[in-house]
Amino acid sequence: MKTTFTKTLLALAFAGVLSSCDKKSDREVVPPNPGNYIIAVTPTAIASKADYLVTTASLDTGKVSIIGNGTEQAGLYRYYVTANNKFFSMLYGQGSPGAVTVYGITDGKLKKLNDFTSATVHAFAPVNNDILTIKVPRRIAAAGTPTVYEWYRVSTVTNEEIAKGTSDAIAPSGNGEIAHLSWIKQVGNKVFAPYFSIYNSFFTKFPDEAGIAVFSYPEMQYEKTIRDTRTSFIGRYFVDGLGLVENGDCYAFSSSVAADDDPATTAVDAKMTSTKPSAITRIKAGTTEFDQTYFFNFETASNGYVITNWLNIGQNKFIANIEPVATKGQYVTGKRLAIVDVVNKTVTPVNGFPEASQISSITTTNYSPKDGKTGYIGVNLINSTTYIYKIDASTATAKQGVKVEGGNITAIQHIQ
Amino acid sequence: MQIKNFLLLGILCANVFFSKAQTEQANLSGRLISSAGEPIPAASVKLQNSRHGAISDQNGYYKISNVKPASYILQVNAIGFKLQKKEIKLLAGENGSVNFTLTESTEQMETVTVLGRTKAQEVNRQAFNVTAIDATKLYNTTLDISSALDRVAGVRVRESGGVGSNFNLSLNGFSGRHVRFFIDGIPMDNMGSSFQINNIPINVAERVEVYKGVVPMWLGSDALGGAVNIVTGDKHRNYLDASYSYGSFNTHRSVINTAVTSKSGLTLQLSAFQNYSDNNYKIQIEQLLQNNMAADKKSATVRRFHDVYHNETLIANVGIVGKSWADNLLLGVTLGQNYKEMQNAATPIAVYGQLHRRGNIVMPSLKYKKVDLIPGLDVTLNANYNLGYETTIDTAKADYDWDGIRDGKPSMGENENGQHRNYWNNNGLATAMVSYKLGKNHGLAINNVFSTFDRKQKDLLFPDLDAKNTPKKMDKNVLGLGYSYNVDNKWSLNIFGKHILLRSVVNGENNKESNYKIGYGTALAYYVKPDLQIRGSYELANRIPEANEVFGNLENFQGNPSLKPEKSNNLNLGIIYGFKINEINRFSITANAIYRNASDYIYTHIVGGTGPRREWSTSSNRQGVRTTGFDGEIRYSYKNWLSAGGTITYQKTKNLQKHDWDPNTGKYSEAISWAYLDQMPNIPYFFGNADVSASFKNAFGKGNNLTVGYNMLFVDRFWLDWPSFGNPTEEDKYSTAVQLTHDVNFVYSMKNGKYNISLEARNIADKPVFDNFALQKPGRGFYLNFRYFINKSQR
Repeated sequence: MKTTFTKTLLALAFAGVLSSCDKKSDREVVPPNPGNYIIAVTPTAIASKADYLVTTASLDTGKVSIIGNGTEQAGLYRYYVTANNKFFSMLYGQGSPGAVTVYGITDGKLKKLNDFTSATVHAFAPVNNDILTIKVPRRIAAAGTPTVYEWYRVSTVTNEEIAKGTSDAIAPSGNGEIAHLSWIKQVGNKVFAPYFSIYNSFFTKFPDEAGIAVFSYPEMQYEKTIRDTRTSFIGRYFVDGLGLVENGDCYAFSSSVAADDDPATTAVDAKMTSTKPSAITRIKAGTTEFDQTYFFNFETASNGYVITNWLNIGQNKFIANIEPVATKGQYVTGKRLAIVDVVNKTVTPVNGFPEASQISSITTTNYSPKDGKTGYIGVNLINSTTYIYKIDASTATAKQGVKVEGGNITAIQHIQ
Repeated sequence: MQIKNFLLLGILCANVFFSKAQTEQANLSGRLISSAGEPIPAASVKLQNSRHGAISDQNGYYKISNVKPASYILQVNAIGFKLQKKEIKLLAGENGSVNFTLTESTEQMETVTVLGRTKAQEVNRQAFNVTAIDATKLYNTTLDISSALDRVAGVRVRESGGVGSNFNLSLNGFSGRHVRFFIDGIPMDNMGSSFQINNIPINVAERVEVYKGVVPMWLGSDALGGAVNIVTGDKHRNYLDASYSYGSFNTHRSVINTAVTSKSGLTLQLSAFQNYSDNNYKIQIEQLLQNNMAADKKSATVRRFHDVYHNETLIANVGIVGKSWADNLLLGVTLGQNYKEMQNAATPIAVYGQLHRRGNIVMPSLKYKKVDLIPGLDVTLNANYNLGYETTIDTAKADYDWDGIRDGKPSMGENENGQHRNYWNNNGLATAMVSYKLGKNHGLAINNVFSTFDRKQKDLLFPDLDAKNTPKKMDKNVLGLGYSYNVDNKWSLNIFGKHILLRSVVNGENNKESNYKIGYGTALAYYVKPDLQIRGSYELANRIPEANEVFGNLENFQGNPSLKPEKSNNLNLGIIYGFKINEINRFSITANAIYRNASDYIYTHIVGGTGPRREWSTSSNRQGVRTTGFDGEIRYSYKNWLSAGGTITYQKTKNLQKHDWDPNTGKYSEAISWAYLDQMPNIPYFFGNADVSASFKNAFGKGNNLTVGYNMLFVDRFWLDWPSFGNPTEEDKYSTAVQLTHDVNFVYSMKNGKYNISLEARNIADKPVFDNFALQKPGRGFYLNFRYFINKSQR
């Protein structure tokens, strides 16, 4: 009896050992890298997981890792903005109050200054000493209920929501569809909000018009819509289509990606419907009209590409993501880079950047010191390695910079 | 040919009915009490030299039905008491009554167990890795079934709040829908939110069986990680058991169970229960949640203000019992409804003040059971159909903060656009089980469970969306075949196979899917000696995604139509050992080692706010997940008044998916995942319970008992995300903190259990406790419970 008992215990013990005998292959431990750059990294191991924030002293060389390092962010999608030399980590959720965490950097390390809740982070931008956020409806409200934007003002001084209100979301388009704001930007003492008009499902029946809703600030009164029929809508879903240059002029790009449900299929799928080319237009400083004397046909200047996003690097120059016209889409981000000079209307392809076929995705929130020359763009390669590339606009070349381990780069920011 | 056989069987059966009807049978019943006047449960009552016998219930009553009229020797055997025999003669049609008063035995007992072996303990002795909770011992508590399950080794029930809150039972690292629930062997998958283990009081059950990893084929299902079977039992023929409790957070619960049975066997069984709670307990909130509150209401702790839950359920059965052709033939209906306010979304960051949920169950049912239809042949048939609906109502034109103040706004919905959509799942279920004993040792059984699902929905806010609804249908059939070989107290063997067939319509009539899976398993138990059992079991388990996983719940769970069935190799090894130091100090030890290796493992994760809802979750497949672990239980008793015990569980659930999925390329990445071999996130891995209880017999009067009990729960901290990611410190990485709670209870029973008063104090240290990240559970609470029980032993 006793031996059977012992044997059984042995078997149980063996099972216990089995459970602990495999080990991860030895990994190089990447130490923390204190510094004033903040990189947000999204782990790829489970889809839909919020980021970790890590610091780095340099974007040009070295290695950072979120394995054993970094500050976990709650929730799923987060967006990042720096204002008032503070780093705001904002939870995106169409319906949610946004949880916002505010960080500063002390001795190269992230230091939580405060956290607070505001409303959703959907369209947001620094305006004066505030961050303005707007919740945008995606479908016409139920019968008897108005379809409205809900806006919130958050003070970057006190880190509190200080005002909120609503505004009609259909009036700006003037065509009965919801004017879905692609982004917001302070221009002078106004808030410019380019939009794409949608009926339900992010489709439109009005693919050949551009519009920017203009609001007063801080009252957030809708004042007018700046219209243009030379391009399709300005900006894209969650993409800032406005670029403000040093002399106060505001440039606007259109990707020409308006879509409607393809009538040829029964399924709900998108068909590109705009007849206008991807182009850049301008609103002169101090005016609230498109400058009809300026038109930059991007497709012609680039020999057949559309612009899908850009990073303002100063001195009228932008680093643009570009995509061949043939493969453009509502949510397609170009995997090729080009230097765009909006004054000289030139598009110069960037050399030394990974081949598009090797790229899984490109970071949307990138960093530039705005010296007219330098930009840092995050690249997630299909072989699961991830780097930040340093782009030199003067030579239109890209150089591999810091390596990031543990996931994809979501944002690159810098604070003092 | 088949028809011929069938007819032949029919004629045979008819003959049996006929011949049985010819001679009128006799019945025998009675009650067993100790010399002190206390009822003796779990005693065996046998008619010698016959197959007839019974086990006494918790009040000492027994009943033996359909006995051939003759002279017998009636033998009563109860642990701790002297064996008694009595000669009796039963006449045709007679309903004999024999009561016994047993005298305590101090002699060496043949079988040593910690306490008398109840039916629950019998279940525990199966070859499967099973734990049965003897629910009858918990009747004087206010526990619902999920809280009772929380005390079982290997089981963690994670609740998101107070009474009626969402729960997730995890069993050896498998959780959610990996674990299936049954009531009397009937799957509960289709019963909706109004009839769930978090709102069924323990008093409805006689025992609750937890099968870990390997699920016997007679529980016909495609469970992957285990099964919980609530056994309501036949209980008594004529009785009334009523209880009411009142406690903290304005919590009211009542349960009434009753049955009346006529001499002719006509019966009416009613079970009604109700729960109500304001759940207005205090929670601690972070600084960030206080910012938008009215200045004078800002506080580090707030009282929950929108968390009322109530449910009311009635189960009624009418039919006949104790006939020669049917032990039970019951026509019944389950009627129930529930109302639940939602205080917050997946975390307290999103506060609601009006959003709520309703659901109901209207479920007619048919039950038939006959043991020994022809000698050795048992037949069970069940059928039900749930006509109930579920809805979530979000029509507020306001927002709320933790101050509870309504901030009006022009737009509708605390979530985007608002919501008011009803849906009906139209679930039907039919089960059939036939088992046949071949001689003393062999058994054969066949079991079939068929279920249907056909969701219909109606949008009250956006009627235009109804036109876009695609058909959502799912039919499932689980056919099981099993063989068992059993030598009493020596060894037992089970072998079974399961065939699972699925037919579904997922997105449009053109998108039909048909799939089948075959699983099998075995369970073996060997008794080294009567009190030392070694057992092992194995199953290749398959699970087809459930309708809710594929279609969602239209509230906070998003369906995933591309979910693949999952598969797991489950292995258990265990021992049960009972021993004693002397007659007064007795021990029992149960220890299990478990191994689970699942592929296409379905796991649930929060997706967050890209949709109109604030935070919602969905299910996805993971290529591989492996759990290895150990759980154990030890129990000790001193004489028959002090009992103590504890359980401990340690398990590692590891991610075996080697390559991450890249949604941008639509391929698995070439590099080895950073999470490969990492512990799966957000699963408790080390936890345990301890309890002590003391019973004082004849306290403050003869026939009155006082029981004082203490329970402790411990759960170690676990990370919300992969353990190896991020800086593993409190400020940089989210986790669910260590839980340690202490509960005490006092039960005073009078007149041999006729009147009972109990007082429970839960979480007496009033420590903040969390089962899920950031979701605080109620603090200290007191509950007073009154129970009245009467059992008429007439026939």
